[in-house]
Amino acid sequence: MQELIDAIADMMEDKVLELTQKYLDEGKDPAEIFDAYQSAMEEIGRRFEANTYFVPELIMAGEMMKAGSELIKPHLKEDAAGDKSGKIGKYLIATIEGDIHDIGKNIVGMILDLNGFEVMDLGVDVPADKIIEAAKEFQPDIIGLSGLLTLAFDPMKAFVEKLTAEGLRDKFKVMIGGAQMDQQVCEYIGADAWVTDAVAGVNKSKEWLAA
Amino acid sequence: MSDMSEVRKKQDAFLDKWISGEGIEFVSEETKAAYQERAGLLAAAFRLDDSIKRVPVMPMTTFAPTMMKGISGREAMYNPDAAGQAYVDFCETYQPDAAGAAPMLMYGPALETLKYNLYKWPGQGVPENLSYQFHEKEYMTADEYDKLISDPTDFYLRTWMPRTHGALAPFADMPPVYGAMELPMLGPWLIGIGAPPMQEALKALMEAGKQCFDWINTMGAYLNKIMAMGFPFYAGGACKAPFDVISDSFRGTTQLMMDLYRKPDKVLEAVERLVQPMIDAGVAGAVANNNPIVFIPLHKGADGFMSNAQFEKFYWPTLKKVMYGLAEAGCIPGCFVEGGYNQRLEYLADTSDIRCMYLFDRTDMAKAAETLGGKVCIAGGFPVSMILTSTPEKVEEETKKMIDVAGKDKGYILSIGCALDEGKHDTMLAFCNAAKKYGQY
Repeated sequence: MQELIDAIADMMEDKVLELTQKYLDEGKDPAEIFDAYQSAMEEIGRRFEANTYFVPELIMAGEMMKAGSELIKPHLKEDAAGDKSGKIGKYLIATIEGDIHDIGKNIVGMILDLNGFEVMDLGVDVPADKIIEAAKEFQPDIIGLSGLLTLAFDPMKAFVEKLTAEGLRDKFKVMIGGAQMDQQVCEYIGADAWVTDAVAGVNKSKEWLAA
Repeated sequence: MSDMSEVRKKQDAFLDKWISGEGIEFVSEETKAAYQERAGLLAAAFRLDDSIKRVPVMPMTTFAPTMMKGISGREAMYNPDAAGQAYVDFCETYQPDAAGAAPMLMYGPALETLKYNLYKWPGQGVPENLSYQFHEKEYMTADEYDKLISDPTDFYLRTWMPRTHGALAPFADMPPVYGAMELPMLGPWLIGIGAPPMQEALKALMEAGKQCFDWINTMGAYLNKIMAMGFPFYAGGACKAPFDVISDSFRGTTQLMMDLYRKPDKVLEAVERLVQPMIDAGVAGAVANNNPIVFIPLHKGADGFMSNAQFEKFYWPTLKKVMYGLAEAGCIPGCFVEGGYNQRLEYLADTSDIRCMYLFDRTDMAKAAETLGGKVCIAGGFPVSMILTSTPEKVEEETKKMIDVAGKDKGYILSIGCALDEGKHDTMLAFCNAAKKYGQY
């Protein structure tokens, strides 16, 4: 399996799918193949933290994981894969009302997913009420609000105020993400943390869950 | 590559022509002197001129001048009188050293005529009180690199525009223009142009062109007034880094990032192919507006988006070629370095043999000054969050700090690290005044 792990970690997409198919054809335990993917993801995560991997590698990792899972899943006994990847926390993510940008949000969602979070993505231009409603239902550990524009500051502030008014502020951590976020904005909005890139967002989330 | 001292001479000649204000009908001798002083300050910063008197201040604006007057984003994009007047008022109130490029607001009716879908704009997909926003999608598929590489103009016209300009969808059925080389082969092209859907598309293009022409004629009066009052504009033309063209407008960020692994050679060929078109686009604007500064907003090469090795391979070489091509035409490349560039500053130092500017967004300005000071002109770095959510006193204090940190090498232009969609009067005033108070050398 080391060959497969290395191929995934080294971004050799074609070889990864070839090997996966070959192992399946040879009758290797699909759960073991799936474990190889998990181990590779951990290695990719380490390279990411060491600043050797960046967004392109995370996107490729996500793609390989998706394609690999599709090959493996039909061979897996029910619930095997699902349970093994045991989720570490729940994250509700949305681009706030008025802002339609989703590149950053989508990358964060994908990396969170790869890192074991159960992610609910509400999309773009999402009104505060809809986020609160979804939060009540989904019960996330963290609510992440994305916004590229400075015009997103006030709707984010209004969201936090609504959350407080409903007596829910202490139930969720609130993280804001976007190009112009900083401590000043974080305090203005009343969020718990601010980030300007996906990795920082994921790291902060893991830190919160570990606390 | 040309002899670099010759290139700088060409840049200086264009700068001198711009500073002179030739062709501008100034309100008075005083406003002419003010214009020359302001443009001179900016030019001195580009030239890293030791005799510069003061740090110039140049807030970059998109919708801020209109929003600060309570004019909605919709109104700004549909009423050139309201938008133009707001830009005049902004200059009068805050007395910046360079005025914002009001035409970057664009004209909503022309976009409607074209059924433009690369952006959503107030009243067309975003609320009327907000600004326009990019609508990124995969407008070019992974197997279309060869089309782009073999003929970018044909690709724009017959592949990309039909997808991003709804009214021009029939252009996809236009036969290639190349038959026009000979009478017997000319027919197919013209017949294609004559087809009813194509005629409708051409009418839409004519109409959008006419709308924009009328719009700029109306707004032009205000732009002329701004210059007549003594304010140069901070950009004459605009273009982009080839990688960003593909990432933002063609493939989409996620798709292009996968292409770096799946078809790296095609990506490299494509960015190379876009170098000359980007130079041409930038130079055309600068020449038309008699203003050498070519604005280049940088996006996907920022820290976090890719490794230095990827930046060095896919992003930087063609951006650098565009910058040098602009410089050889006498233009001043002004990169708006969005996001953070803390890992990339060394690369930027490479362009110290031409006159250029890097306006930073979230890059650590102390680090930028340390790496680039005395080599290239640096600008920006002031947090927009302070303008929007802080007090005039704090803004004044932070502005002073920024000037102390970034301005010590005399090649610094004070600016906010963001194209402003909004602003607050008292903090904006404090920011612009602080530049004059603390920026004296």
